[in-house]
Amino acid sequence: MQIIYTDVLVIGGGLAGQRAAIGAKRRGHDVIVLSLVPAKRSHSAAAQGGMQASLGNCLGAAGDNEDIHFADTVRGSDWGADQEVVRMFTHTAPKAIRELAAWGVPWNRVARGEREITVDGQRKTISEPDAAHGLITSRNFGGTQKWRACYVSDGTGHAMLYTMSNQAIAANIPVHERMEALALIHADGRCHGAIVRNLMTGELLAYVARATCIATGGFGRIYRVSTNAIINEGMGAAIALETGVATLGNMEAIQFHPTGIFPAGILVTEGCRGDGGLLLDCNEHRFMPDYEPEKKELASRDVVSRRMEEHIGAGHGVKSRFGEHLWLDIRLLGADHINNNLREVKEICQYFLGIDPVRELIPVRPAQHYSMGGVRTNHRGESPQLQGLFAAGEAACWDMHGFNRLGGNSVAETVVAGMIVGDTIADFCDSTAGALQLSSALVQEFGERERRRLAEIANGKGRESAFELARLMQETMTAQVGIFREGERLEQAVASLQELQLRSRNIGLRSSAPGANPELVTAYRVQRMLKLAQCVAYGALQRTESRGAHYRADHPRRDDLNWMRRTLASWPSADARLPVLTYEPLDIMKMELPPGWRGYGARDYIEHPDTGVRQQQVDAIGGGLDRADRHTRQEALMPFRHLLPEHLRNNNERLGEES
Amino acid sequence: MNRIPLRQAARTLRIQILRHNPRDPDSQPRLQTFEIEEADAMTLFIALTEIRERQDPSLQFDFVCRAGICGSCGMIINGRPGLACRTLTRDLPEQITLAPLPAFELIGDLSVNTGKWMRGMSERLETWVHSQNLESLDIDAMEAAMEPELAEQIYELERCIECGCCVAACGTARMREDFVGAVGLNQVTRFRLDPRDERSDAAFYELVGDESGVFGCMTLLGCEDMCPKDLPLATQIAFLRRRMAATT
Amino acid sequence: MTGKLDRGPARADILQSLSGLLLVLFIWGHMFFESSILLGKDAMYRVTRMFEGEPLFGKPYPLLVSGVAAIIFVLIAVHAVLALRKFPGSHRQYREFNAHMGAMRHPDTTLWYVQVLTGFALFFLASAHLLVVFLQPDNIGPYASSDRIWSGRFWILYALLLVCVHLHAGIGIYRLAMKWGPIPAAGSKVARRRLKLAMWGIIAFFLCLGTASLATYMYIGRDHAPHAGERYLPAHQQALPGNT
Repeated sequence: MQIIYTDVLVIGGGLAGQRAAIGAKRRGHDVIVLSLVPAKRSHSAAAQGGMQASLGNCLGAAGDNEDIHFADTVRGSDWGADQEVVRMFTHTAPKAIRELAAWGVPWNRVARGEREITVDGQRKTISEPDAAHGLITSRNFGGTQKWRACYVSDGTGHAMLYTMSNQAIAANIPVHERMEALALIHADGRCHGAIVRNLMTGELLAYVARATCIATGGFGRIYRVSTNAIINEGMGAAIALETGVATLGNMEAIQFHPTGIFPAGILVTEGCRGDGGLLLDCNEHRFMPDYEPEKKELASRDVVSRRMEEHIGAGHGVKSRFGEHLWLDIRLLGADHINNNLREVKEICQYFLGIDPVRELIPVRPAQHYSMGGVRTNHRGESPQLQGLFAAGEAACWDMHGFNRLGGNSVAETVVAGMIVGDTIADFCDSTAGALQLSSALVQEFGERERRRLAEIANGKGRESAFELARLMQETMTAQVGIFREGERLEQAVASLQELQLRSRNIGLRSSAPGANPELVTAYRVQRMLKLAQCVAYGALQRTESRGAHYRADHPRRDDLNWMRRTLASWPSADARLPVLTYEPLDIMKMELPPGWRGYGARDYIEHPDTGVRQQQVDAIGGGLDRADRHTRQEALMPFRHLLPEHLRNNNERLGEES
Repeated sequence: MNRIPLRQAARTLRIQILRHNPRDPDSQPRLQTFEIEEADAMTLFIALTEIRERQDPSLQFDFVCRAGICGSCGMIINGRPGLACRTLTRDLPEQITLAPLPAFELIGDLSVNTGKWMRGMSERLETWVHSQNLESLDIDAMEAAMEPELAEQIYELERCIECGCCVAACGTARMREDFVGAVGLNQVTRFRLDPRDERSDAAFYELVGDESGVFGCMTLLGCEDMCPKDLPLATQIAFLRRRMAATT
Repeated sequence: MTGKLDRGPARADILQSLSGLLLVLFIWGHMFFESSILLGKDAMYRVTRMFEGEPLFGKPYPLLVSGVAAIIFVLIAVHAVLALRKFPGSHRQYREFNAHMGAMRHPDTTLWYVQVLTGFALFFLASAHLLVVFLQPDNIGPYASSDRIWSGRFWILYALLLVCVHLHAGIGIYRLAMKWGPIPAAGSKVARRRLKLAMWGIIAFFLCLGTASLATYMYIGRDHAPHAGERYLPAHQQALPGNT
């Protein structure tokens, strides 16, 4: 087995992975990026609508700042997020976007003077100020008080990923494409790299590294209907779970995007609604204002998705032979706007539905979209249990999203986390703890273990089909661990998944083709995906409350009293049938923004006694500093800057704001 | 109410695939035909996945986003390059022939190594913003302003997804392996247009001012006609040719 | 960057296009002049004399025609040498291109192959024609040309030449426009459709014109066959006594 040594091994070539790689490389460390696919094909490219950063340039964003972005994000998370991390994030997001602007992303810009927009179904003329001309503009997104989603038409992720990849190429960072990490090499709570399979030749290699960073994105493909790319099978999270040491956080927190096109589940951006698009039912009636008078179509995704399913459940869905759906109407935005700012949407409608959204309605229904959970890390992006293992982006539970992520906060997280984690990885490598110390026997042992696992599948005489098991898992998850969850069905799901897991030990292959062997790939992945699916289902079963995207019909209220805590899942041993769940409390007494109503969605929740106490404290501290600037007030409530790398601590400059 | 087009009688598709596994010493390139029942709104992504799951699990192909945005699934569909994921079978005859994109290293069956080719192209043409102060950026400060129209023009060229269809559609690239293709030339015009890139025309000439670059293009226009993203490749290459011809 | 750019490739590309453009302009002019026969023998006679420099020098110098033929030959040679670089250079390249063209069924790719074939043919056909003109510059005129075409069986050469040269020139000028033309990206699809239409229009026009004049020469040549070799006298000279 070939062994490749490097300082930093980044698993995953999307935005988060490549940004972290660039950060570590700039600090003088050798970095290798592993990617299942060519880096520019990563799922980051699919982010369409925008990246949240409180620049506050255009009229709709005027007055925006980190504080408002922070509050929106925490409310969006239904108070499930780590507020310090949210602060780190909202503070760094403007820097991230400005860095990308200098690196080449062609962000759409503010044009001075009058222009027509669509708000609440009405055409309206606004006038952009001269001073903002040429600065980065932004559009409206769900769950936000300001227009904060900076965008590049509706190919934001594509433009960002290409710029990032090109900078990584410029920095001479090797990307080993079509490589899949099968296991993390670890001993005594320290991670040393990974055993990797070449997806072209089938060969096994070992990558030995001082620091290993998982940036493999989400695991949407455990569901049948998902907007995710088909490579989003969560293998990064799964290999972390299989260490038995590292934990996965909040796996039950799964986001469903309101507008997956029906029935394929391909995403059309939230920008459609942000720019003024409406949701209609079978009578072409705009129903969202009936449920959500405040934010209407632009409540957070969890709320809109639930309302849509609720409305379909009430018999207002549009019937088709594939099932029921609703309509997304962007006709009112006009041909010009659609052709310029929503062109990917237009292409998707043309190619997959054969319709022209300028003149026709788009059939949509919520589809699995994002995993808020992932490899649990501390604020530095490092696993608290497994030293030398880092994670960034969707693969991580850094925990800035809690139980629901706001649109546009994911691409923002990838870059921001990449910036921060790239630095903390470099710090780690520079420290004594980061020294490479392992025996080659350990590497051989892990390599041998993976070789045996593959051989068992390839030579086993099992009768189960990997494809069939994957299909059954996806059906189970979509049917029973979807938007509306309920105890009994979750119990069934857990049982079904356990059965599938047993069956997955008995997989037989029909093909023994040399090389990658796609059937073998499906086989070993489905074994791992079943573990992730079980973490989701079991976590959802145990969490007897409704918070953010996790909705329990039998426990419809948010329960701060019992559930102000983060789920941590670990997989105790190879033959375990369930994950071990532990819980990490979220301390209300340290929160800058104590729990309350989100401003949309359900109004009643079970309050924690600390909430009132903390709220009084917060009010008192704020009142005592009413003459101080917002940074000082914030600092008094919940200091966070010391958690950031030094060069990211300064205030962000803004139009019309003293820095 | 349902506006998703409906087909009455299901067809049986005969999908002929050029199979070859270079890892297998016994493998010879051959055409293999699979028959499958056509379903509503079936794309080649769905059809190929079904073939792999039900008929031949060793079949190799590449899909990632399956939504026409990542550029993974370029292949030759009835003679012409295209993105398989967004090709609806109802737009094709019952007899469908699929082959891997030529001009790229074959991984197996329909899977080719476009990633390696594109990375090589990027390194060779240095497809990134060249600027003196990237290492010492002040990211706390306001971003530099840019004309809104210019930003949109840059994005227009940046929409390329490096799928390789233009290279496979190019007679020049088929004959000359070192030709950078429309994908490379387009990226050069993208960075030339970008004021953040400080390179001069002479610097760009060094990259594409030869027979493997813009002067190798014979204007066969396969790139323009087969580009899944409808990029204005012909006008961009003409523009670059004029600029490079005028460079001294 | 230093000023040490290798301008060779740029020059070669410009020269190939420029030589092609000049040749196209030449052949189009050539067509109009030779088809003067359609307006009568006198018209063609006058055109011939004009090119022999009679209006300028008072008497015809056929050597001028030889000169032009030589220049055109040089242009063709330059154009051919430059274009040759783009032709399939090996059996592998030829096979690749052929397979590509056959599979793609893409008009502009196929048209390029038409240019390769016609270009190849033209090198011989046009050279043959030019050689005759070069060696016998005085042998051009209503009867002289017609006799060569009919009695000398040159119509076979000219018919082939006609088809090849106009396909090659028409396609070439279209490609030239697409290659260099400052067409705004917004309307490029429409512009290209129009250019393509114009290309076919021009090809059709010149093929008709050329066919008509070739047919005319052939008729004249057939009628004049018994007196082949005899030179044409313009109408005003025929009327003079002593010229029987």
